[in-house]
This record gives sequence, structure tokens and C-alpha cells, in this order.
Amino acid sequence: MKNGCYIFLAAFIALGGSWLGLVYGPIHQLGGAEQAIVLNSSDTYPFQRPGDATLGLQVYRANGCAACHTEQVRQTGMACNVVLMNAGKNPVAVTNLISSLSLTNLTKEAADQVAGQITAAGGKSEIHIIATGPNIARGWGMRQSVAEDYLYDAPVQLGSLRAGSDLANIGVRAPDANWQLTHLYAPSGVVKGSTMPPFRYLFERRKMGETPSPEALQFPKEFTLPDGYEVVPTPEAKQLAAYLLSLRANAPLYSAPISP
Amino acid sequence: MPMWIIVVTLMLVFLGAVYFDRHSGWFDRQVYGPYTSAYQLEEYQPKSGAAAAAAQGKRVYESVCGVCHGTDGLGKPGQAPPLAGSEWVNTKGFDRLAHIPLTGLNGPMQVEGKDWSLAMAPMGAALSDADLAAVLTYIRNSWGNKAGEVTADDVKSVRAALGARPQPISGSQLKAMPE
Amino acid sequence: MIVNETNKTNPTASEVDASLRVPLLALFGGAALWLVVGSVLALIASIKFHAPDFLADCPLLTYGRVQPAADDALLYGFCIPAGLGVMLWLFAHLGQVPLRGAIVPVVASNLWHLGVFIGLAAILLGESTGFAWLEFPRGGSVLLFFAYLLLALWVTMSFAGRRERALYPSHWFLVAALFWFPWIYSTANLFLVAWPVRGVVQAVIGWWFADNLVFVWLALVGIGTAFYFLPKYAGRPLQGYYLALYAFWLLILFGSWCGIPLGAPVPAWLPSVSSFAAIMTFVSVLSVGVIMCKTLCGGEKCASLGGPYCFIRFGLGSFLLSALMFIAMACPKFNLLTQFTWFGPAQTQLQLYGFFAMTMFGAIYHLLPRVVGFEWPFPKLARLQFWLSMGGVVLLVVPLAIGGLVQGMKLNNPGIAFLDATQATLFWFRFSTTGLLFMLVGNLLFALNIFALTTVWKFALVKRVIAIVKAPLEIAEVKA
Repeated sequence: MKNGCYIFLAAFIALGGSWLGLVYGPIHQLGGAEQAIVLNSSDTYPFQRPGDATLGLQVYRANGCAACHTEQVRQTGMACNVVLMNAGKNPVAVTNLISSLSLTNLTKEAADQVAGQITAAGGKSEIHIIATGPNIARGWGMRQSVAEDYLYDAPVQLGSLRAGSDLANIGVRAPDANWQLTHLYAPSGVVKGSTMPPFRYLFERRKMGETPSPEALQFPKEFTLPDGYEVVPTPEAKQLAAYLLSLRANAPLYSAPISP
Repeated sequence: MPMWIIVVTLMLVFLGAVYFDRHSGWFDRQVYGPYTSAYQLEEYQPKSGAAAAAAQGKRVYESVCGVCHGTDGLGKPGQAPPLAGSEWVNTKGFDRLAHIPLTGLNGPMQVEGKDWSLAMAPMGAALSDADLAAVLTYIRNSWGNKAGEVTADDVKSVRAALGARPQPISGSQLKAMPE
Repeated sequence: MIVNETNKTNPTASEVDASLRVPLLALFGGAALWLVVGSVLALIASIKFHAPDFLADCPLLTYGRVQPAADDALLYGFCIPAGLGVMLWLFAHLGQVPLRGAIVPVVASNLWHLGVFIGLAAILLGESTGFAWLEFPRGGSVLLFFAYLLLALWVTMSFAGRRERALYPSHWFLVAALFWFPWIYSTANLFLVAWPVRGVVQAVIGWWFADNLVFVWLALVGIGTAFYFLPKYAGRPLQGYYLALYAFWLLILFGSWCGIPLGAPVPAWLPSVSSFAAIMTFVSVLSVGVIMCKTLCGGEKCASLGGPYCFIRFGLGSFLLSALMFIAMACPKFNLLTQFTWFGPAQTQLQLYGFFAMTMFGAIYHLLPRVVGFEWPFPKLARLQFWLSMGGVVLLVVPLAIGGLVQGMKLNNPGIAFLDATQATLFWFRFSTTGLLFMLVGNLLFALNIFALTTVWKFALVKRVIAIVKAPLEIAEVKA
């Protein structure tokens, strides 16, 4: 290129193109997103997080939890299970039929065929859709994460590294506030061998009064505190726990269909 | 400027385009990987009960009947009469309607005030009871039609009454039948 | 000064260098400081994996704050100002025009370093924005943006007023880089921090920004620099003008679309487009490799072991490897193995430090003595730094990448508990922490050399001032 202007033009075209495609495009397509309808129900999803949980998102951000934890479930496939609902007028024939067939982890065509066979034998069946993949098998979620899961989050803390487990559905896996708080205070006391740093500065260890505080953490047996001491969460710790408890992303949606 | 780099570039463009075609869902807002198209996403939506039967009926209709009668049920002049709003579809009973796909139909007859003089093969003879029942139910509940469902047992009884190799019914015979 | 026939004066190389002295010392001095700070923070973060209780009671040093601070100190504190300084020097030299109004770049450098300080302090105090590579909150980012604009303006003026009008491949890469940063930085800050877009689009724009900064911008500046120094050291011109043009076009056209990871919670077209773009970027990387081989093989080997040439060669080799890792991570099958594992950070560290920082070290070791007018006070330490940094990078990246692969294989097996996967990586972590230690020592040597050089220059300056003050007055100057 002979002229500085041409270089500028080249850079402008290249960056302008990618700006249009990866910035303007998604804003146009997803920026005005509204709530989605949960499949087979009239509920909308997601719901606004309760107040403490919204503040908890800021505690999550301020302490850089996204440096080790992700909040996205990945799905690598989908499958159908055929479930018998009603054996109909000829239960023996139907039972014989299903014992000779495979009913789980089928493709849609195979599942339709099996369902047709069951219907022909007089039974009634339903096809259940499931998500498959290592994340799903690990129990980190029942379906993959989609855009609606992050609709009300600012900032969206997707994370990019799993030094710690995925948190997209931690509110389903560990719905106990006390567990969340004790895990934050002493991760290796609650999960043996954990490399997560303790967040003791989010708590206050103080001498017990006449009676233990209702907010005091209940630790597992092996973890002992000196006599007469208790650990009480600060407001930040409580907000963070509320946020973690609000992390649930299992509602079946059109873009991530699963049978409820 | 080595030529082989251009060749490599073109090959990669081709491979990339094929990959994009297969995996992008063509910019659909609701298609997330691993789903590869909006059609596949629709296929894998969980259906229960009535919804499942309707989906089955729609599938059968579009592959067997829709070619002539149109996916919108409006028929095609010179090919097939409309099903939307047809008095032959919107009947209280199912018997007369079920005869048409099981035996075939020879015109002339009137449908929605127009004369039709065509011949229809027994398109439903090869379908199972469940499939035929589903497609009839679908026809009776689509495009503004509001009629009752047809069950597989209903179809079975009509078939049994017809016996093996029934002759195509004529328009006048059809009109004379009870609904 | 050489006076030619038309009575215009052509500046010599040393005049050009002299005009750049204070701005470059300001840029590189601060950059060296942030490099050391970043290394210390990275080492602290790495130690926390072996001893989670290490400094755990200090909220400023919790892992989630220290790790992003270390990354940002390396990128914004060292890489970008070093890149800008090298660009200033390169444009002045390629165009054979001295820098005018040097006070502005000096002010801009100080603004930049102030912005980095504010940003890093904010991260450690819990005020980060929460977006990867964009953690500096409003105060810091505004300072950085305007400082960059000022410096870019001065480089552009240097470019526009160049005496030597021909354009070299380095020009294309560096001019594009000048233009790149303000657009992506302002977009990211406006759409993510100032007026945040809704939902997952934040993540998409964040990925776009991170890719364009950490992959494209660093590649543009690093390759532009390498394409200037390679021919110098190899003793022959850059082989493949049109190939370089091709590499440039493909890099900016396709490199800017990479970044959206596969399996992300966004519609399928976004990751597909990114994967397609990554595959096309492979051709650009291939072309750069071909140019490098053709230029180096068969040229003279006028290099001393551990000198600037070694840095630049290692840097370019690291670029090829890290870019290949980047592209591999965008391929579906490999991505299933490496996503969310330590393979990603390994690739990023190789790119930031192994490629870009090493290239900058080579360039700075080459140009700063010429600019300041004094030799490096500790040349042996400079050579030692090469071995320490190279060893450190290898020790950091290779085990981390292997650990990432091991982690990925275990995580993909639902039967293996999550903690087992984490424990398996700890073994490889020990090597990486050692690598970080080597890198820290190397960076200290680099900073030592720069500060020593600055001190020597200042000392000489003071000596000259004192000599002028103490000199006996000329008789003509004394008026009765």
C-alpha cells in the first residue's frame, strides 16, 4: 500500500465489519430481549433476583469470583426417552414389547418409532426430551445456559475458567444458606482438599453472648472454633449467599427444551 | 507470493462455509448449539398428550395429503378441493369423512359451492390406524375447522366395515351416506 | 547536522533518537515498574493455589482480585505503553523525522501510568467492573483512553510528516494498531460500563473486546516490530512483500471476528462465526511463519547470544505457537477438551509474555541505548534476563497447558469427582509457579537496567548543568 490513507481505510473496513457483526448484530438481535415463556406452563422466566441477591452479584464481582468459577452449563447433545404412561387394554403385549426395545437415549426418529409401536400395541407413551453432555451428567444443570438466564444481570459473570465448580445451578445443588456461608468462611473445612481461599474477611468472629446469635454459622463436626466463639456473617456475606442461592437455571425454555 | 497459500485459503474458506452452514442455525435467535437448525429445535420440543397427537397429525398431513390439498388446506384448482371450511370435514360424525382416504373418491361432487370432478386415490389405505386418526383429527382442527377428534379405534371400525380392497366411492354415494 | 544543497537540514539518526529521549524514558520506566508489580501479583496469585491460606485475610489480596490485577498490570501497565514507545521510535526512525513537541507524549505517558495505578488500586479495593481485560473502572479507563489518544496523535503526526515516504510492512501493522485501540476500548467501556447493554450481550461485547485487544492489537504491534528488526538482524530485507500484505489483511479481517467461545450461552451463529474466523486466521499465522523462516534462514547470523535478536526470535516463535493454540481452541473437538481449563490461561500468558513482552524486551534493549546515548549499565544482566525469561515462560506455559489438558480429560468424565480434576492440576502448577518466579527475577533485572540507565543519564545531565554553572564566564560576557 502506497498511502497511509489506504492503511487507515483497511483497518476501518476490517474493524467496522467486525463491529457490525459482533457488537451491533447481537445488540440488535438480543439487546431488546424480554422474558421467555417456560415450556408447558404460563410462567415467565427469568424472575428478577430478590434485593439481597442483586447486591450479592456486586459482592461476587468485587471479589472476583468469576476468576475461578463459571456460571454457564454446556450441553453437547440431546436425546429422547420414551416413557410408558398407560399399558392400555393389552398390558401383557405392551410389557413384552417394551422389554425388547431400548427406551432411553434415542434420537427423535427412533423415539417416534418406538412410541408408534407402543401405540399400535394399545399403550400410551410420552417422549421426554433430555439434554446430554459431561456438564449435564455431572449434575451441574439439566439444560444448557441460554441468553434468558442472564437477562437481569449487570455485570454478567459468565466466567472462563473452572478452577472451581460451575455455579449456574448452585442454588439447586446447595440450597442451604448455612452451607454456602460455612463454605465461604472455611472451604477446606467443608470440602476436603478444596483449593478455594477462605473468605474470612466477609465474616466476624466474635465472642458469644449469653446465647449464640441466630445468625451464627453451624460448622461441620470436624471444624472446631475456640470455646465461646462464634462466626457471624457480615451483610456482604449474606448478600453473596442470597445471590448464590438464587442461581437456578433449570426452567425448560423453547431454546433449551427439556421435559420438566 | 506462494500459490499454495492461496489454495489453502480457498480450501479453508470452503470448509468453513460448510461448517457454518451446518452449525450456525442461520442466525436464528433461538437456535443454540448443539441444535443445528430451527427445524431440529422444533422437533425436539417436548410434547404431551394432545399436543403430541397434533404434531403427529401435522407431520403425516404434510407428507401425505399436503402435496395436493396444500399445507394451508386451501386445495389447488384442478388438483384437490379445499379442506379449510369444507362441509365434508366439519361433520359431527367421522364415518363419512374416514371413508374418503380409505377407499378413494371419484368425483363429481360439490365442495363449498364449487364443482369438483377429480379422482383421489385411497391415500390413507397404507396408513396405520393411529396415523390416519391423527391426520383426520388434525384436518378437523386446523385452518378454522372446528370438529371433534377421530380416534384410532374409530378408524379401525370403519376399516373393518369396509373389508379388504374396497372400491373407490363416488361423490353421489358419499353424499348419500350418513355423516 | 548535514546541510545539503537546498540549505535544508536532514536530521541524523542520533538527532531523531535524542528527540525521543524523555518520552521513551517516561513510557518505558513506568512500564518496567508495572511489569515488576504484575509479576509480584501473579506470583502471589499462583502461590495461593498451593497454600490457599496464604495472605487470605487481606481482602486486597484475595485471589479473585490479585489475578485480574496481575493480568491487567502486564497488559495495560507494560505491554501497551511499551508498544506505544516502540511505535514512537519506529515511526520516527522509519520516517527519519525527529519528534516535535515532546512534552505532550511525556504528559500522556504520565497520564497513562496514573490511569493504570488508579485502575489497579480499584481492582484490589473491589471496584473492578467485572469484565475480563476491562476491569479498570471509569476513572482509570478515561485516563487511559485520553493518554492513548494523545500518544496516537503524536505518532500519527510523526507518520504524516515523514521524510522517507515509502511504506514498509511494519507501517501497515503499526498504523492499523494505532487506529484499533481507541475504537475497541471506547466501545467496550460505553456498552459495558457506562450504559450497559442487556444480558448476555455484555459477554459478547466483552469477548469481542478481549479478542481484539489481546489477540489482534498485540499481534499487530508485535509483528510490526518484529518485521522491522528481523531484517536488520538477518542482514537481508523482509522476504515476501505481498505475503506480508496478505498476512496483514487476513489478520485484521478475520482476527477481529474471533473470540466467541463454542458452547457459549448465545445463539449458535456467534460461536460458528468465531470458529470460522479462527480457521481463516490460521492462514495469516502460516504466512507470518513463512516470512519468518524465509527471512531468517540463509541470512547472516549477526547476533550475540542473549541479545535483543534472541528476544525477538523467541517472541515470534511464541506468537506462532500461541496463535496455533488459540486457533485449536476454536475447533469443536479440541474445544470440548480445553474449554474452561487452564489451557486458555496458558495460551494467554504465552501470547502476552512469551510473544509480546519478549518482543518488546528485544526492541527496548536495542533502541534505548541509542536514544539515551549511553550503553546499558549491566549488559550481562540483560543477557541473563533472556535466559531467565525464556526459561520462566517455558516453565510457566508448558506445564499449565498440560495441566489444562489433564483437567479437561478428567472433567469430561462425569465419573471423576471435580476435586480429583483440580488436584491433578496442582502437580503441574508447581512448575508454573517456579516459572513465574524466574520471570519475576528476569523482570527485576530488566527494571534494574532501565532505572540504572535513567540514573546514568540523569547523573550525566546534572554533571553537565553543574559544569555549565561552574564554568568561568567568557570575557565578552562581562560588561563593565
